[in-house]
Amino acid sequence: MSGTETQRVADERFRDAVRPEKPFNWFRLTVTVAVVAGFLGASLSVDARWERLPEVPGELWNIFGLMFGDLDLADLPDALDSMWESVGIAWIGTMIAAALSFPLAFLAARNVSGRVSVVVTRQLLNIPRAIPEIIFAVALIPIFGLGPLAGTVAIGLSSTGTIGKLSAEIIEGCDHGPMEAADAAGGSKPQLVRWAVMPQVMPEIIAFWLYRFEVNIRASAVLGVVGAGGIGTMLQQSIEFRQWASAGMALIVVVLVTILIDMASGAIRRRIIRGPRPAAQT
Amino acid sequence: MIGGLIGLVGFTVAAGADWRYGIGFSVTEIWDGLTRSNAPMRGLAEIDLGALTGSRARDGFLETLQMAVMSSIAGALIALPLALFNSKLGAPNRAVYAVVKLLNNVIRAIPDLLWALLFVAAVSIGALPGILALFFFSLGVVTKLTSDTIDGIDHGPVEAARASGASHPQMLRFAVLPQILPAYTSFSMYCFELNLRASAVLGFVGAGGIGTVIDFYRGQGQWDRVWGVVAGFLVVVIVVERISAVLRKRLL
Repeated sequence: MSGTETQRVADERFRDAVRPEKPFNWFRLTVTVAVVAGFLGASLSVDARWERLPEVPGELWNIFGLMFGDLDLADLPDALDSMWESVGIAWIGTMIAAALSFPLAFLAARNVSGRVSVVVTRQLLNIPRAIPEIIFAVALIPIFGLGPLAGTVAIGLSSTGTIGKLSAEIIEGCDHGPMEAADAAGGSKPQLVRWAVMPQVMPEIIAFWLYRFEVNIRASAVLGVVGAGGIGTMLQQSIEFRQWASAGMALIVVVLVTILIDMASGAIRRRIIRGPRPAAQT
Repeated sequence: MIGGLIGLVGFTVAAGADWRYGIGFSVTEIWDGLTRSNAPMRGLAEIDLGALTGSRARDGFLETLQMAVMSSIAGALIALPLALFNSKLGAPNRAVYAVVKLLNNVIRAIPDLLWALLFVAAVSIGALPGILALFFFSLGVVTKLTSDTIDGIDHGPVEAARASGASHPQMLRFAVLPQILPAYTSFSMYCFELNLRASAVLGFVGAGGIGTVIDFYRGQGQWDRVWGVVAGFLVVVIVVERISAVLRKRLL
């Protein structure tokens, strides 16, 4: 076979070649149809009085103008005071949740506890996870009265579910080697947990506690709307009574403090996960 | 380490103690409150699931679902371009990146219920302020999570696209988008779960949904019915979460 012959055959093959057809993606089509249909169905059937929608940007602009147009520094101490209360509620609430969820997490981890304990504890942790803090708060206000205590317990109870579930997952993801070693050396179950599991999982669990604290600050900032303490009360009342300037000040304080604490807590979390720098140990 | 621990304990005591700058936390008060006979706990004991069959609860659940579906889809759609601009890789220039980042931080720092308060003040009560509040909430969540994913993608395809002369939008479309799409879809579904949960409380400020029904029964002191509706809501949330978890596992 000559060189030109080979070339001719190759050219022919190239000419006849067709691009393979893309496989038809049924999954993508189904998802698209479901999303579009869901959106249209919901927007057409909901009783939202859409004719008010065009007014929204104007109204919002108006309100922001009133809020931030003539801020009064005299409102600042009040706002900072209530925000500190919100931070306190979030912190103590997170502490309660950490204390409650810590033993539950071990009971819910498959590699530490038995089947029955895992199933029962997981269901127990699912319930507070699905109920929003505000619902806990409104149920606790008749018990503890208006004020920060109801908010604190509400935050604590509802975070217990999330922290417990995540901690259990962290425990399940730990390395089996140390556990086997402790088992082989004759360690009892509590000893196993204390010396083989806890050293591995504590950094991640503590980092998650901190993350949950950040989430809880957002939650506790609004608990006051139903009267459970913190800056939410100030926000709700100043908006209801159209005292826009103090609402604006409260809003600024909420946003700034939230962002600041996020940044600080994020830095601490990264430091905990990373461990001390080698240079610091010398 | 020791210094940090002391600071931590100090902060806890300062925040919890009963003084000018503390919230006055006390275990005995909690114990007293819980052991005293009270209306919410009596209501929990004689929970009334019949409340779920009434038309009031049915309309509330329907509205909650409609609100969550609409706001999640709309929020997630708009969050995709914002997420691209919210990462150093995807933003066309530094100025856009800085502006979008600042905007996103502010949006995320305002909790959902606060959005609802603002929109109720702007357009009065109903489902509309609730939808708008959840829309902004979704925007913040999905943008943040997706842009975090963009920061961690493989840079190989990006360099390949640039080397073969792709423009910035082409690079985003063919090198970045395919990598983040599964995670983005998963975050959008997660956001739907969050919205469903959040829409239960928007009713407390008049922004529609099942929260309106819960608030109504609470105002009447009918705690048995409150807990009935909450139990129904719990089942809806857990079922949706299960379905979503299965779908998300299939995506990733």
